[in-house]
Amino acid sequence: MTGASLSKWTLSYFAAALLSLLVAEALMAAGYGYPADGLRAPSTLAVVHLSAVGWLSLLMCGALFQFVPVLVNRPLAWAGLMLPALVFIVLGLVSLVSGFMAMDGLLETAAPLLPMGGLLLSAGFAMAVASIGLTLVRSRPLPIPSAFVATGLAGLIVAVALGLVFTQVLGGTLSAPVFAPIAAWGVPIHAAAGLGGWLAMCAVGVSYRLFPMFLLAPDPQGTGTRLAFLFAAAAVATAIVGGLAALFSGWPVPDVMRLAAVAAVGATVFYGRDVINFYRARRRRDLELNMKVAAIAFVSLAFAVLLPGALVALGRSETAVAACIYMAAFGWLSGLGLAKLYKIVPFMTWLECYGPVLGRAPTPRVQDLVREARAGPWFLLYFVSVWAGTVAMALGSATGFRIAAAGTFAATAAIAVYLVRARMLSDVDGSRRFPAGSLRPSLLYSLAPDGR
Amino acid sequence: MTHYVELDVRPILAAGGEPFGRIMETVTSLGPDEGLRLLAPFRPVPLFAALGSKGFTHQDREIGGGDWEVLFTPAFAPAGTAGEMSAARWPGPLMHLDCRGLAPPEPMVKVLGAAEAMQQGEVMEVLLDREPSFLFPQLAERGHEWQGGFDPDGVSYRLLVRIGPAS
Repeated sequence: MTGASLSKWTLSYFAAALLSLLVAEALMAAGYGYPADGLRAPSTLAVVHLSAVGWLSLLMCGALFQFVPVLVNRPLAWAGLMLPALVFIVLGLVSLVSGFMAMDGLLETAAPLLPMGGLLLSAGFAMAVASIGLTLVRSRPLPIPSAFVATGLAGLIVAVALGLVFTQVLGGTLSAPVFAPIAAWGVPIHAAAGLGGWLAMCAVGVSYRLFPMFLLAPDPQGTGTRLAFLFAAAAVATAIVGGLAALFSGWPVPDVMRLAAVAAVGATVFYGRDVINFYRARRRRDLELNMKVAAIAFVSLAFAVLLPGALVALGRSETAVAACIYMAAFGWLSGLGLAKLYKIVPFMTWLECYGPVLGRAPTPRVQDLVREARAGPWFLLYFVSVWAGTVAMALGSATGFRIAAAGTFAATAAIAVYLVRARMLSDVDGSRRFPAGSLRPSLLYSLAPDGR
Repeated sequence: MTHYVELDVRPILAAGGEPFGRIMETVTSLGPDEGLRLLAPFRPVPLFAALGSKGFTHQDREIGGGDWEVLFTPAFAPAGTAGEMSAARWPGPLMHLDCRGLAPPEPMVKVLGAAEAMQQGEVMEVLLDREPSFLFPQLAERGHEWQGGFDPDGVSYRLLVRIGPAS
């Protein structure tokens, strides 16, 4: 019963993640990647990996380093790996994205950027998985939120392993025939393991614990929650195990992915029911901005599930996949991520700076660190522009998508400014900002109360 | 092993007298390894704080007929059995906080604020909706000890905080 300390480097993860998101959005606004280029063009791969690895995965790792100890109420194992993991992932990402840009002809270099990027990313994520995974292993049996996260780590391992194979085959460092089918047909498995296995499973797991906490709603315990987990785990297992089996036996991988998608829709239905119950059964009537924004993110998830059906019916399956992934990644996961950052960053800052003087001096409340009325319109712009971008993508309008992406970039930049202001206590009234004994915040790291 | 000097204040109270002066007189006359065994017709809660500030921990039990026996033990005296020692280290709570229904981190603010108003060795009981993961490092930082767990209903988390030496 030692509880959870502040995670020292989580804010560095968040900063690197936001920076990656801004770069990805700027590239999209500049017309780099899909839909101006093809779905598998190097430019699209650069934007996709900036978003999935740089933004969403670093955000998730930073959040897990902070909240897995809360989920299992024990300190993070091997916390010393947190910083090296970040350094390896960032270097790997820069190398990987540069490699894609070199393939695209944007960079001229003979350096083996893709294989190097793959190796660095693998090393970085291995450290993150070791630390978070060992913390979970030591806490068995796992309650459902932690079980989601554990499944998510399995998804991450598969996504990274496949990514490593792709980079080595593409870079020419690996030419054994056994890897040829993986490189040729494994991309959907890689994407499903990364987006569905790793990012979605962890987002769901963490939200199962944080939402009841923030909304003062009862923890979920019923059959519906277990079904949500079983369907989600079945979807991940089908996509990964079934997908790999299909790949090596010559079955069409997309058919297996469709089966996994059906299970994922089942999981979404049961998860959605739990989320609606959290909001309905909450004892806290007034919603904070982060929970209002999270609700819009869940509406985006519903769109992401419904949209492909409509587009496939219109006979546009590639557009359906792209629009669905864009809506899930930017409407749901990124929208939820930005909303939770707007809660987590002020909370961590408040605990770090005012924790030492709580009860001993008057301190601001957590909500005094943010200005919700000013940040609210930017969150709204974020979702409106993501939805507009999805519609432009579905209609095949590259220009419309660029205009919408400029909107998401502007909104994200503004939200990032508000997060930095919250972190630096810039919005706290001058007289109450630094009571005697309080700590001054640093932008990129936190000091835990026990000095770790 | 602490030797306890017995003081029965029931006759004094039955005769309409005021026993406080007599109690303090007895406490002042105690030797270094001596404690006080107090017999009273009610649970003498105000004394817990008064003698707590003089370095005594207490262990109380109802002895029937509404009467109470309280053992006041000097905080650093060698106590008897482990059970006696633990009971003496964790006396009945003086402060009760119900933080159920409060949004985090308000329970933390309330607990740490209340702890500042209490004396070393005193115990606070807190009811919460969930295990207060972020509170524990704050308590440790301030030298307080704690015990906690969910009630059998699995709904309320009951936390006991024993106040540490003032920092």
